[in-house]
Amino acid sequence: MVLKVGNLTVTYGQKKAVDLISFEVKPGQAFGLLGANGAGKSSTIAAVLGIEKSTYDELVIVGKSPIRNRKEIFEQVGVQFQETHFQDKLTVSDACEQWRSLYKQTADLPALLQTFGLADKEQQPVKLLSGGERQRLAVLLALIPEPKLVFLDELTTGLDTKARRMLWKQLVTRKEKGLAIVLTSHYMDEVEALCDEILILREGQTVFHGTIQEALVASGKTTLEDAYLHFAGEEDWG
Amino acid sequence: MSTMFTLLKIEGKLVWKGIDILIFGICFPVILAALFGYVLSRDASAGSSDFELSYAAVITIGVLATGVMGLPLTIADYRHRGILKRFQVTPVSPLQILFAQGIIQLSSALVSFMGVTLVYYLLFDYQIAGSWFIFLSVYAFVVLAMYSIGTFIGSVVPDQKAANMWSSIAYFTMLLFSGATIPYEVMPRFVQWIMDILPLSHGIHLLKLVSTGRETEGMTVPFLILGIVTGVSLIGAFKFFKWK
Repeated sequence: MVLKVGNLTVTYGQKKAVDLISFEVKPGQAFGLLGANGAGKSSTIAAVLGIEKSTYDELVIVGKSPIRNRKEIFEQVGVQFQETHFQDKLTVSDACEQWRSLYKQTADLPALLQTFGLADKEQQPVKLLSGGERQRLAVLLALIPEPKLVFLDELTTGLDTKARRMLWKQLVTRKEKGLAIVLTSHYMDEVEALCDEILILREGQTVFHGTIQEALVASGKTTLEDAYLHFAGEEDWG
Repeated sequence: MSTMFTLLKIEGKLVWKGIDILIFGICFPVILAALFGYVLSRDASAGSSDFELSYAAVITIGVLATGVMGLPLTIADYRHRGILKRFQVTPVSPLQILFAQGIIQLSSALVSFMGVTLVYYLLFDYQIAGSWFIFLSVYAFVVLAMYSIGTFIGSVVPDQKAANMWSSIAYFTMLLFSGATIPYEVMPRFVQWIMDILPLSHGIHLLKLVSTGRETEGMTVPFLILGIVTGVSLIGAFKFFKWK
């Protein structure tokens, strides 16, 4: 297992943002955290990474605790947060160089820039990149340490179809080589393209946990989208 | 080691691409130094001349611009943009990038210090009367105090807008009313009372004493006041600091 989470709970004041969540991720597996806005997806990721206070029975990333062994863990774990912002006036190559300097071992940068279609943008300020290019840069940076596990929070929100497909293709290739992925997404086509297992959250609670096939069976729906709406409780809206 | 070097190199590039520090921290005090050289009286019959006293004031402008403006704005900006949060999930502590920024800001303040000193020495034959060692020690103490205030502002403000407002208030008040630009001595008495509250006034007072060779005269009170301001700011910064 690259990631083990047992009974994780995040509390803001009186409100439980995440309530007793448990899941595991194996090497080469992609795990999807789904749910409406505010269901607790980002809070779960922040708590798993140890940057949000939480209580848990078990929390182990690549065999270690993110609270006590943060240095060792983050040599092997990449993170792309929802909406990545950069320093004003930072160029693409500076962003990459800075990120590389943080790790002991890093991936081949020219090859990464090539695969993510940013090779000719190196001297550009990050601010002038398009939304899709900036998002690709964020994912590229998460892959710089050659991680065993990568967290992708809203991977392709705001991207056009071509850019999304390109990112999926890259991730599937890496998954086949053993990369474990935890992702959140609002797009069911993305979840179907990438995820082996999903967990649906509703107001911080697990309402479904299993494979896509199991979700279809359990909900009695024919598409993942319908199954998701069934579990996430968004059905009654429309 | 190479991490710190790369962080310094890249943060340095970012700071120097923005021309704020160049204008407010370096050009402005150097020009002011030149103007003071022509305008202020060099009559030293009453002890030290106005011009001699002004040196201690003008060298603090760079400290003020970097410590009370540059530093808090960067801290607030990096927190607001989630840059500190991104560093939290790497093997390196976000403190390292803030430290790199602090070093870059400080190096700009030192460039400003050298620029002003060169103008006073080369253009106007100025010479400090006291010991350089004591003078530089007091300068370092003033730097520490101003950077603590800046860190405090950067740590407590809720957002970028508040950071802008509070650092501007701190910067302009101290620029105008602590003797950095308009000498303390020419201000009316009631303004001097207000000036006595501002920490930089005490810093400049100390620097004036040591630059004119009057080290022993009443340095205790300003030292204590600056020390307390530094302590309170650092404790406050430590207590209220948030990564995101």
